[in-house]
Amino acid sequence: MSEYSCLIVEDSPMMRQLLVFALARVKNLRVTEADDGVDGLRKLASARYDIIVTDINMPIMDGLKLVKRVRSDPVHKDTPIVIITTEGSQEDRQRALQLGANAYITKPIQAPQVIATVKELLRID
Amino acid sequence: MAEDKKTSDSNSPPADFKSERDRFVKSFTRGSRLTDEFIQDYEQLLERLAVLEAENGSLHAQVAADRAVRDLVQKIERLEAEKTDLLSRTNRAEAITNQFTTRVQEVESEFSNLANLYVASNQLHSSLSPRGVTRRIKEVLAQLVGAERYSMYLANEDGTELVPIASEGVPGGDLLPVSVAGSRLGDVLKKGEAVVEEDSDPSRGALDRPAAVIPLVVDERVVGVIAIFSTLSQKTRFDAVDFELFRLLGQHAAQALVSASLFAQAERRLPGLEAFLDLSV
Repeated sequence: MSEYSCLIVEDSPMMRQLLVFALARVKNLRVTEADDGVDGLRKLASARYDIIVTDINMPIMDGLKLVKRVRSDPVHKDTPIVIITTEGSQEDRQRALQLGANAYITKPIQAPQVIATVKELLRID
Repeated sequence: MAEDKKTSDSNSPPADFKSERDRFVKSFTRGSRLTDEFIQDYEQLLERLAVLEAENGSLHAQVAADRAVRDLVQKIERLEAEKTDLLSRTNRAEAITNQFTTRVQEVESEFSNLANLYVASNQLHSSLSPRGVTRRIKEVLAQLVGAERYSMYLANEDGTELVPIASEGVPGGDLLPVSVAGSRLGDVLKKGEAVVEEDSDPSRGALDRPAAVIPLVVDERVVGVIAIFSTLSQKTRFDAVDFELFRLLGQHAAQALVSASLFAQAERRLPGLEAFLDLSV
């Protein structure tokens, strides 16, 4: 059975903990945490990930810049990206999807929704 | 001439012969006609026999076909019964599967709620600085409840006013002490019971009509309140887990804040061992 790896990029320790809890429900998914966009890029440079879950509003480098950088990275240009944010407007959603995000989840998050989205993007039953 | 007549008379058959002949001819003619009739009847009978044999053959074939049809009908009935049984079993299996799926969804949802509560509780008690605790309370409100504009108040010493100590999304000019008497926030402080606007969209709450007001309790005393004025636009109603989070915040937020304040006052020094020796446990 194949194993998948997920990178969570989120500056809030509470949200990271919550996402780790939620994604622990996905079988064979190994989760790595990053504190912000820069930390995320550092981790993406040192390993290959099957999916990235990122917040938008973060210090140093926000989630949208991270999405742009990931899409220009030959190793991760096709890696599915899930945006998790408090911004619920249609314009924010469109902007994130235009930049190359694959899914958009608004806070407060529901663990089943996060799990279903990650499973769908990784094509796990 | 007389001799001719005599000869003629002698050559002519006797009268009874003639009548005999006539009778014979008549009888022969009738016999011949009867024979013809017999032959005709016989031919008709042969034809009728052929027709009847054909009919008989057809009836035999029909009977055989009827039997085959009857067998087929019985087979169809048997298959229909099997199909009904299979459909009924499939329906039962589907109903069980649906029940199971619903149950799994309920369990997943329950797990999600418990995870939220665990994380919130864990975070509230993971800091021993008043600023850290306040930041975590705000995180719980923003990230888990989905609050957009909120404020935390503590009662002054004589309990007449609620003083804002932290807030988000509220203009500075609106962050003023609130009189306990005659105010919605004051009512919650006095009664110690949360007030939640369950029938209206919490994202449309206002400063004068908060979507939720939660009492903050320390050692069974209500020492303040959290007022959630409005939620994020996508958060249009409070769910069961939100009410659990309100309860958790009410019981733990102020306690964590008081503990952190006392720890700060003690200059972050842990109490000596003697402080735990007379606990009598």
